Amino acid sequence: MQDAKSVPRQYTYTSGVKPIWCPACGDFGVNAAILKAMNELKIERHNMVMVSGIGCSSAMPHPFSTYGIHGLHGRILPIATGVKLANDKLTVIATGGDGDGYGIGVGHLVHASRRNIDLTYIVMDNETYGLTTGQTSPTAMLGRKTKSTPFGNIENPVNPMALALSTGATYVARGFSGDPVHLSELIKNGIQHKGFSIIDVFSPCVTFNTVNTYDWFRQRVYKLESEGHDYTDIGKAMSKALEDVVSDYAKLPIGLFYKTDRQTYDSMDIALKNGPLVKQPAHTEADMLSLLEENR
Amino acid sequence: MTSVTVRIAGANGDGIESSGALLMKVAAKSGLHVFGYRGYQSIIRGGHVWYQVRIGDAALNTHGDTADVLIALNQDAIANQKSRLSNNAIVIYDPTKVKPDGLQNNKLIAIPLLDTAIKISGDPIMRNVIAIGAVLKLLGIDISVFDKVIEGMFSRKGGSVVADNIKAASMGYSFGGLSTAYSLKSDGISRYVLDGNTALALGSYSGDCKFYAAYPMTPASGILHWFAAHENKGVLYKQTEDEIAAVNMTIGAASAGVRAMCGTSGGGFSLMVEGLGLAGMLEVPIVIVESQRTGPSTGLPTKTEQADLLFVMHASQGEFPRIVVAPRSVEESFYIAKEAFNLAERYQCPVLILMDLLLSEHAESVNNFNLDFAGIDRGKISETPAEGRFKRYLLTDDGISPRSIPGTAGREFIAGSDEHDEYGDLLSDAFAGLDSSLEMRRKMHSKRMRKIETMLKSEPLFVPQIEHDDAKHFLVTFGSSTGAVREAAEILKQKGLDFGLISFNYLMPLDSERTKALLSGKSLIDVECNYTAQLVHVIKATTGIDIERRILRYDGEAITSSEIAEKALFMLNSHKA
Repeated sequence: MQDAKSVPRQYTYTSGVKPIWCPACGDFGVNAAILKAMNELKIERHNMVMVSGIGCSSAMPHPFSTYGIHGLHGRILPIATGVKLANDKLTVIATGGDGDGYGIGVGHLVHASRRNIDLTYIVMDNETYGLTTGQTSPTAMLGRKTKSTPFGNIENPVNPMALALSTGATYVARGFSGDPVHLSELIKNGIQHKGFSIIDVFSPCVTFNTVNTYDWFRQRVYKLESEGHDYTDIGKAMSKALEDVVSDYAKLPIGLFYKTDRQTYDSMDIALKNGPLVKQPAHTEADMLSLLEENR
Repeated sequence: MTSVTVRIAGANGDGIESSGALLMKVAAKSGLHVFGYRGYQSIIRGGHVWYQVRIGDAALNTHGDTADVLIALNQDAIANQKSRLSNNAIVIYDPTKVKPDGLQNNKLIAIPLLDTAIKISGDPIMRNVIAIGAVLKLLGIDISVFDKVIEGMFSRKGGSVVADNIKAASMGYSFGGLSTAYSLKSDGISRYVLDGNTALALGSYSGDCKFYAAYPMTPASGILHWFAAHENKGVLYKQTEDEIAAVNMTIGAASAGVRAMCGTSGGGFSLMVEGLGLAGMLEVPIVIVESQRTGPSTGLPTKTEQADLLFVMHASQGEFPRIVVAPRSVEESFYIAKEAFNLAERYQCPVLILMDLLLSEHAESVNNFNLDFAGIDRGKISETPAEGRFKRYLLTDDGISPRSIPGTAGREFIAGSDEHDEYGDLLSDAFAGLDSSLEMRRKMHSKRMRKIETMLKSEPLFVPQIEHDDAKHFLVTFGSSTGAVREAAEILKQKGLDFGLISFNYLMPLDSERTKALLSGKSLIDVECNYTAQLVHVIKATTGIDIERRILRYDGEAITSSEIAEKALFMLNSHKA
């Protein structure tokens, strides 16, 4: 470890605020992985904005000393998109949970994907509504008993990887908070990728989800790279995305499912041709006069 | 003052709107004043649509009432508009397509519009231009102005478009037996013609708004069309998946330091409500336009109303400062949109501009706009590094805490939508209910709410405007109805009744002392376009003064000056009896 005093201020990423998570919560692993990625990428903290929604995992920005917006439940991606469109020089990281991103906010995921806006979206997926004390979530497996499904869940789970692939995301990955070093690489590469990156993270809820535990995941996850998965092939990526269902949850692939280069929304928007919106000069009287003339 | 009201009526797809717009451009360029309004339905082709253009030789407050000149493009136009004509109205129609049933008492001008149009260019739409030529003759407007307008509009298109239009107008203008029927005095000033949405967009542009997010919704869509068409002029338009995304993107963009706005109608604003509260809590300066249409739910999507006043004033859970303003004219929409950004940034709160279909979509001539580009006030912004952690939500006497823009080193902070302390750290998680947290909640909530006192102390805006302050009676109104109400006061004065006008544009916050002083002891009649007299509720809550006499309209059409005058007269007479 580096001596804290020798780290220049712009690379000191922690605020000192303690996370709210239960001891051993999966989100600690995600926090460590994000921090490691930032340290390796040497992102200046004043040029980074972390946007989150509502839920346990949406507390993610607070331990960081970057800019951040802890917004509304489900609205992470619109806020992050607004920040990026206003200043496309900023590194914008969106963090939230499965209820936020695949439940109340799932519509925004579809559109952020197809827009290919240059954001990195990290979803801490614990198949549970934790902060509201343990109801079923959009990724809960069929049959799972929770406070809101005491007789077992009867709704099919959302498949986030398949959803992201089918709607145009250009970097689709999944990590496991039990392996923060591996996860950190996925996050780092996601931040460096130009376009919409989604990283779904198996991030166990140690309090309300007694089925999908660390051990449960450890027995099932395997790394796509160990199998030589071709992440440039969307067809193969899609079949890997469906492997959890096909294998009846015996095999859960983690790693990079798919990556492709496609022009980003922010690079194509004509309004941003002259640099970040926030840096563009103020409108002038000459501009105004010519615009008024259109109405004569 | 002389004014003539011309109505062009036909089916959707007949080019009614562009014909009305063309007539207005020509008249406004000829040194006259214009005011136009379109009647239409939620249908792309067919239906019965009309465009009403009032042309006068002094400033106009409304699009007029009954038509002095009707251009009837189909039989429906005769049937539907017959009851809405002035005495001795002139009717221009095509005898090969339309029978002037029941119009024996009118002056009828039969022009074979369609046959002539086909002969000129093969395009039936040219019949409208022939009819406009005839109207220009009736109004005594120089036909050469028409030629200039057409050249300005179509010279880039090339081909015979310009020549065909000029020929068509000239055929109408010189049609046998036509003579000038009205005496309008031109003052030689060439005027702008624009609708409320365009004026609002231009005003926001001059206020350096660089970001607009919206989901298409009548009658606010004109704003998005303007921004989309000018994305190469230093503004970004983002069409969103829904209005929830629109308001949240606007909050994101404003947080990143850009002046940002979103707009919609009541249904879309319903979806924005949670985001409105977020802007209040995070103290992010955003501007939201809500252009009202008729009724709850889908209502009457192409008709007007003023029934969302209390909704925009009270939307969202919890309490936070906001500014609500309803422009009273097209010209004022420009200035209010511009000032909205100064107010939003000065007080770090949402500003809601309350438009409606009438104001958004009717066009007016405007002599000129005062472009004061020195008047941008971005409020308190910190640009130098803080000692230690930055206190974004510093407790201040005036309630306003200096904010910082991402990218500024040493001023980083996390904005929390939960209640928070001066750093933005959440009170809700580990500390809610503990003594220190109770105190901070009280202090932080009071800090935000103190901004209202600061606004009232610092801004002269939050009182109604009075016209003819020595009058015996006053009509009271707000927003887009002001024009018709002002005109009604004029009509009543002509009838020998001493009427003044009290009109509200800024509605929240309101300076209760000054508003009370202005209203108390006066004979008041309230006029607004809704069922429950929402302005009266606001006045009563602010001043304790009730207005019992109310003239209300809620059928979707704009209230007219003649009906206001008639009802006010009746109210005064029944009061005497």
